[in-house]
Amino acid sequence: MSDLTPFAILALAAVGAVAVASLETLVAGFRPAPLGATRQALAGLRQPISHPTTYDGWLFHLAPGLLLLAALAALAMVPWAPGFRGIDLETGAILFPAALAYVTPAVFMAGWGGGSPLPVIGGFRFIALMLGYAMPIAMVATAVAAPAGSLRPSDIVDIQATVPMALAQPFSLALWLPAVMAVALLAPFDVATAPHELGGGAFERYTGLEAALVALARRVLLLAVAGMTAAFFLSGWHGPLLPDWLWMAVKTAAVAALMLYAGRRLPRLETDRLLTLAWKVAVPGAIAAIVLAGAETLLFYS
Amino acid sequence: MSDLATALVFWPVGALMLVTALYVFVTSSMARAGLLLLAALALEGLLFLALASEFLGVLMLLMMSAEMVIMVFFMVMFMPDPGGLMGMDMVHDKRRSAGAAVVVGLLLAVVAVLTDWPAQMLPPDAPDVRAIGFEVMGRSMFSFLFAGMAILFTIVGGIMVAKQGGRYGVGAPAGEAREG
Repeated sequence: MSDLTPFAILALAAVGAVAVASLETLVAGFRPAPLGATRQALAGLRQPISHPTTYDGWLFHLAPGLLLLAALAALAMVPWAPGFRGIDLETGAILFPAALAYVTPAVFMAGWGGGSPLPVIGGFRFIALMLGYAMPIAMVATAVAAPAGSLRPSDIVDIQATVPMALAQPFSLALWLPAVMAVALLAPFDVATAPHELGGGAFERYTGLEAALVALARRVLLLAVAGMTAAFFLSGWHGPLLPDWLWMAVKTAAVAALMLYAGRRLPRLETDRLLTLAWKVAVPGAIAAIVLAGAETLLFYS
Repeated sequence: MSDLATALVFWPVGALMLVTALYVFVTSSMARAGLLLLAALALEGLLFLALASEFLGVLMLLMMSAEMVIMVFFMVMFMPDPGGLMGMDMVHDKRRSAGAAVVVGLLLAVVAVLTDWPAQMLPPDAPDVRAIGFEVMGRSMFSFLFAGMAILFTIVGGIMVAKQGGRYGVGAPAGEAREG
């Protein structure tokens, strides 16, 4: 990591958000127009920000910043290429779920501070959802870290030089994907911000600059979870012929497209059914995944 | 980090942590109290990071976010005045508890300042470090696991006891009544 790494991550977030927005348009079946969409988003900034008339309005105004901060911190942990490993920490695989854990208070603050019934319901739905889905994320992160014997994301990428973790631990991947989609507020897990059901839910009342921040943070969040999925399960920058950063970009785009496509094809479930899935399937499954990962590590990796 | 950089992070973050922790007891809203407590504990996680205790800091950030959000969730669900709009006082036996808190705080501060802390850094493969690892993951793990289970059962049992009467002490609505 050099002194310029933080700036590179910010630049990546800005460019990546536009790319993710274009991908969304493409998956929805339209021709993406990144320039037009960016111009439109910037025009939206001229709208004044809205002030809810509740005592906890300050929570409402803090939430978009916290959401963006959490998304950027998660993005900073993703190793993109041997020469650009993000903030390459020894504990990166734990700091990634730690950063994602701050999405929950941000969404709750947005909903609670919004002060009208639908946003409040959205905020509480997200807390309930993340109580179930935050655990599989951290537990699967330990499962994929076990073979590498290290919580450093770039070490986890390097251990997959021969066999990608998606083949070695397909069960972990099956638990990881829904959980990160839930934390990234993606359909069909978007019960907190359901556009048709809660009319925008927790983020309903944002306008102008704050609405733009929320939109930006959601794209950065998707970029971060897609990038980390590529690094943890699809062997990151390893691959034949193409340069390493390009492999990582292709894999990240593929994961992001898969998540967005799944959101368009699958129906949104009720919150209590999603919770049943989380508590009765994903959490016990994640414990089994850790045991399996430990056995695999002892048998094949050491 | 250099000593100057550590000090530049440590003192402002520490001061902010104390302010947010104090405001937990000033506000009467459950949502605000929980979120302020989260802020205080997250700032404490940053203090650990600033003091180069990376794993503890990261773990603190991870665990406290989840735990404090759970606390907000349950406090808003079960407290009679979740929004702090009815002037409910969260603090009981004010004078004695404030006195006890000040005395204990001063004692701890004196202990922290006067103790002769070891200054040498051990390499990660030192025998002491290994011994601590085996102690924590061996014999003590058994009691940790039981403590964790006991806490979980307490939470679940507490909710089951609390839910029957509802938040305002009235019976469950007809549709929700269960044969017991």
